[in-house]
Amino acid sequence: MTHLNAEELIAHLYGEGDKAKHIEECTECAKAYAALKSDMAEMDFPEPPERDASYEVRVWASLAPSLHSYQAPPQTWLSSRLRRGFTFALVCALLIACAFLGGRLWERKQTHRSSDITSGQKPRPVEETLPPERIVVVVLSDHLDRSERLLVELKHANADNTGLASPLRDEARTLLVANRICRQKTGPDDDPRLAPALERLNHLLEELANQSGSFNPVTLTHLQNEVNVDGLLFEVRVLRSGLPERPTAATGQTKGDTL
Amino acid sequence: MMCMDRDDQAAISAVLAGDKEAYGVLVARHSRRLFRVAFRITGSEADAEDVVQDALFRGYQKLESFASRSDFGTWIYRIAVHCALDKIGGSKVPETMDRESGEMQIADHEAGPERLLLSGEIRAFQQMALSVLSPAERTAFVLRHLEDRTMDEIAIAMGIPPNAAKQAVFRAVQKLRSRLASLKVKV
Repeated sequence: MTHLNAEELIAHLYGEGDKAKHIEECTECAKAYAALKSDMAEMDFPEPPERDASYEVRVWASLAPSLHSYQAPPQTWLSSRLRRGFTFALVCALLIACAFLGGRLWERKQTHRSSDITSGQKPRPVEETLPPERIVVVVLSDHLDRSERLLVELKHANADNTGLASPLRDEARTLLVANRICRQKTGPDDDPRLAPALERLNHLLEELANQSGSFNPVTLTHLQNEVNVDGLLFEVRVLRSGLPERPTAATGQTKGDTL
Repeated sequence: MMCMDRDDQAAISAVLAGDKEAYGVLVARHSRRLFRVAFRITGSEADAEDVVQDALFRGYQKLESFASRSDFGTWIYRIAVHCALDKIGGSKVPETMDRESGEMQIADHEAGPERLLLSGEIRAFQQMALSVLSPAERTAFVLRHLEDRTMDEIAIAMGIPPNAAKQAVFRAVQKLRSRLASLKVKV
């Protein structure tokens, strides 16, 4: 059996290695280990002398004068970098926002300019491109309805009734404007009889609107003939009856323009 | 790894923020323990006091480089061991190896054992026996036998490989037993 050497015994004394079983089984090693343990137990090393209660105070008092104060850094490297990063990101965000808004404005301006050029007009000032203050929507059915009433009144008018001329003339002038809009907005999808009828109505309304003072019998007869001969009143009634009633502004047939 | 004491960490943060007085908390907390190990290594009360002052001063100067994840107590303890080792001469203690006998001869500046034996001062002899160890052997032995540190802790504290720490403890025990044996024979 190989016996433990001094180093292994010392290691075992300090709880290192795994020689306990060998020492139990080997009488010679057990004897050597017991001698080592006895020797170490006999050694009496002096204990450190106790310090008094004010020891720490004295240590600090003698140490403090030789110590310099650390300077607190104004800001750490990390916080400095973070602050710089946030500033950069903020500036970038502002630049992007400005570029976006500028682009939108420029695009809007370009759109107006190109539409002006396309329509053959000179570029209008900005204030002229603003939305109109007033929009008149002319409903065709209403226009035909009012025109029909005017034509009926004109047909039955009497030259002796001097008070009738002025209201008819005013109504004719109003209808003339509406009639112009309706003629402009007449499209290929509309009734093919509509455009000629509005044309003849326009002629009659112009004559009526241009009358001054009260009607003389000759003029009145001439206007009544136009209504009767060309069958204008009948045609207006037919067109009017062919249109649906106007339940709402959204669903009714409208002709609109800016005044 | 031991967790850093919150109070220690708070004190260190305060010191680094410019509050020098906060270091007094660390001094109060650790100076007694430092004194004990310093005394065991140096064997002198006055030297141990110097070691404590020196260790705490070095600790303060190196506080910025101290890794807050480790334990301040362990860190300052290692500094104190280094200071104590420096105090007792470190590797400057003259050691000569007798090439013929293979025994290490160490200069002994204390009173001779014979005189102590004659006066019956066995305890004084034991103290003297400890003082004849080389600084490395004495430090390693004190840390292992009296401070109950592991070999790895001793190696780290002394800045040497674990095997060298183990050999230092082994040599110290051998020398002490040899001195004790000679004492028993003469008695």
